[in-house]
Amino acid sequence: MTWLLVVMIAGYGIGAVGALTLGRSLFVRAAATSGAIIGAGAAFILGSANLLSGQTLTIQISDILPITGFALRLDGLGAFFLVVIGLLGVPVALYSFGYSAAYEGRYSLRLIGAMLNGLLLTLSLQVMADNALTFLLLWETMSLSAYWLVVTEHDQPGTLQAGGWYIAMTHIGFAALVAMFLLLSGGDAMSTSFAAMRANALTLAPLARDAVFLLALFGFGSKAGVVPLHVWLPMAHPVAPSHVSALMSGVVIKMGIYGLLRVTLDLLGGGPAWWGALVLAVGTVTALLGVLYALMEHDLKRLLAFHSVENIGIILIGIGAGLIFRSYGLMALATLGFIGGLYHTINHASFKGLLFLGAGSVLHATGTRNMEEMGGLIKRMPWTALFFLIGAAAISALPPLNGFVSEWLVFQALLGGFNIPVPEVAVAFPLAVGMLALTSGLAAACFVKAFGISFLAIPRSHEAEHAHEAPLSMRIGMAILALACIALGLAPFSVVPLLGGVLAGLGGLPDTRSVFTLDLMVQAPAGFAQVSPTWIGLGLLILLALIPLVMRLMHVNRKRRVSDTWGCGRIGQTPRMEYTATSFAEPLRRVFAELYRPTKELSIDFHPESKYFVKSIKYSSRITPLFDRVLYDPLLRLIQRISRQVRRIQTGSLHLYLMYVAVILILLLIAARWF
Amino acid sequence: MNDALFSQLSTLGSSVILLYGFTLLWRKSLHAYTVAFQWQSIALTFLFLIIGYFGHDVELYYVAGFLFVLKVLILPRYLGKLEQRFPGERESRPYVNVATSLVVAGLLVLLAYAITRPLVLVSDLPTRGGLPLAVGLIFVGLFVIITRKKALTQIVGFLVMENGIALLAALGTYGIPLIIELGVFLDVLMGFLVMQVFVYHIHDTFESIDVDQLNELRH
Repeated sequence: MTWLLVVMIAGYGIGAVGALTLGRSLFVRAAATSGAIIGAGAAFILGSANLLSGQTLTIQISDILPITGFALRLDGLGAFFLVVIGLLGVPVALYSFGYSAAYEGRYSLRLIGAMLNGLLLTLSLQVMADNALTFLLLWETMSLSAYWLVVTEHDQPGTLQAGGWYIAMTHIGFAALVAMFLLLSGGDAMSTSFAAMRANALTLAPLARDAVFLLALFGFGSKAGVVPLHVWLPMAHPVAPSHVSALMSGVVIKMGIYGLLRVTLDLLGGGPAWWGALVLAVGTVTALLGVLYALMEHDLKRLLAFHSVENIGIILIGIGAGLIFRSYGLMALATLGFIGGLYHTINHASFKGLLFLGAGSVLHATGTRNMEEMGGLIKRMPWTALFFLIGAAAISALPPLNGFVSEWLVFQALLGGFNIPVPEVAVAFPLAVGMLALTSGLAAACFVKAFGISFLAIPRSHEAEHAHEAPLSMRIGMAILALACIALGLAPFSVVPLLGGVLAGLGGLPDTRSVFTLDLMVQAPAGFAQVSPTWIGLGLLILLALIPLVMRLMHVNRKRRVSDTWGCGRIGQTPRMEYTATSFAEPLRRVFAELYRPTKELSIDFHPESKYFVKSIKYSSRITPLFDRVLYDPLLRLIQRISRQVRRIQTGSLHLYLMYVAVILILLLIAARWF
Repeated sequence: MNDALFSQLSTLGSSVILLYGFTLLWRKSLHAYTVAFQWQSIALTFLFLIIGYFGHDVELYYVAGFLFVLKVLILPRYLGKLEQRFPGERESRPYVNVATSLVVAGLLVLLAYAITRPLVLVSDLPTRGGLPLAVGLIFVGLFVIITRKKALTQIVGFLVMENGIALLAALGTYGIPLIIELGVFLDVLMGFLVMQVFVYHIHDTFESIDVDQLNELRH
């Protein structure tokens, strides 16, 4: 399988070098796209081959990095994430060919193409890293290439600020990761290979293990966008080019999940129940707050970004439940939880990737991300609308699409919570079930809004009225992901055993490939639930076919009439009379007012002659994000206050600075001599 | 006999090099600084040759050759050009006046002796007598950079400090490998060229090469 790895690296390399060196912009785009497709395709095949065969690929190149060398090892867990990367990488690369055409002359296509390949390369290698130095090096390279892609539209307002937040958050997390690996490497021996760390973790003191876990949760959580570290996500995702948003949301933040699993489950080999409880609690809060803030968004891409926060929460709920079950020795249920989390990871990558690409097509066609200026797009861009609808149905967990399967698995894992003999813990599970159910319901409402306001009714702006369908390459990119959503939804019976194989042996989890058999049914191990999305899908198809049949039997008048929508008897219908996204979200804004703290502003401009004639009404309403208010604003104020104090020694005088250096040098020399 | 001669020669050479460093403290014309640096570099070249001869190290001859070309021929030439570009610039009002500067520099050399004492005691190198002088020269160079205002003086201060480091390396180890020595030379040359560009920019911005005006850049 080594040759596949070589093909992968060569593909990305050719893509990056080609994009940097070729002359005409068409060739630049073509090189970047084809390189990335070859690379991501090879990654997909490599990952799948590894998953199917169960072999482990190990490569050690000692000359590249000092001390430890550059070590790669592809095991089941890495292979699964490699599949996710490849699955999203290919359509994204294809999509970028059409999408980046609009950037020609405004931004550097070369940089975009090269960085896209670089990001995919580091992502693909990241999941294979087998020592701490390799891992951290790739982690940093990944963060930086993602940063350059995020700030592509650097002259737009807010872009650089969003990039700044992203790079700051990711580096705070990076610091935590470095500390974590130092703890794991175990002081004196300082062995950074993962194999040594695995052995080392067993001998660590419980307190040190707890510290490692907390640092991992913090460090990887900042990348995954866990509440309250999620603030960069709704800023950075919208301003990035849409195919990059898809990649960021689909795989970059998933690296946080990968890292968390790698460290807690693989390197540490699991831990006490409170680890899982913490992950479960964090996941629940993340999911709920993510969807609540998504509901208030009218910027299509920001809305999707908040949904990424929500879905990371759902993944963490699965993982948290798995960790709790594992600590109580309920291995089958634990595996079910982890499988739910992993399944949701690949599902989220496919449907959120699809949704971001769809949002990108809309942005490409209308030039706006504001939903209030869209409308009626289904008639102008039917393909995009269809794909977006599939994505929206999938993320709302409607059967027979993929979101349903993974959320069902997570639910089943949570419902198994009564098997835990400790009442305090067992009580937490129904609570989580309730929260998750609320989250799913709100997510469905949110996507009714997103699809309905953007694509249905009549256009709300001139741009929406003259929107055009996306070019072929972008449509194919979306089609691949839409098919993936359907396939992953219809065939869980073949995916679930594969995921069982991924988890077998990690942290003492059993091989469950025989428990989840290749049956059409997916069965929860507790034995009280089973589901078959395939049959549901078939049933729905039959139901759909029945509708015209029944209509025929009932002699319904099938003549087609074309007329205006009924508008309460009004004579003319204008877009101003349409239901808006704001009004759709208003009831929820009232219900959750305590959380949102909405501020309203209403200014009415009357006619000077009479108050009965209104010239204009201006209404604006915004919400205050909770964590900005209670966490980040005070924190930033504190940092600024400290910085102002520190500035006193920064006088601007070069001589004084040199003086500092000299005094410190002499003091150090004196200290070394006499103390 | 041979060792005693070597020891005396190296201490003498180091002293001469340090004395040229002191020149920067009491002269005020930029031209004098260039000349002092040039002579100091010549002395350093000789010292390298001496160490090479007594230490039986052929590589040091090459290093001495490179040193001569870079620090005696090239850098003073560029420094001379800079002087001509800014005629009339003198180090007229340093932060610390000449008399105090000399006292402080003397104290710094004493400090260097105190700090290097354990090293000198355990060392059995014939050249150990020069080690405190080399450290002292580094301190003096640093002191010049801190207290003098003209950008050109600071460049010379930096070069003198660099000479001190080269001297320390040569005395302490009989010369580091040639490839590292070459790297250091390249470093010095690049650093000098960058600083030269900065001097022009400072002059363009402030109509003077006084570095203390740079604090106007703070906002």
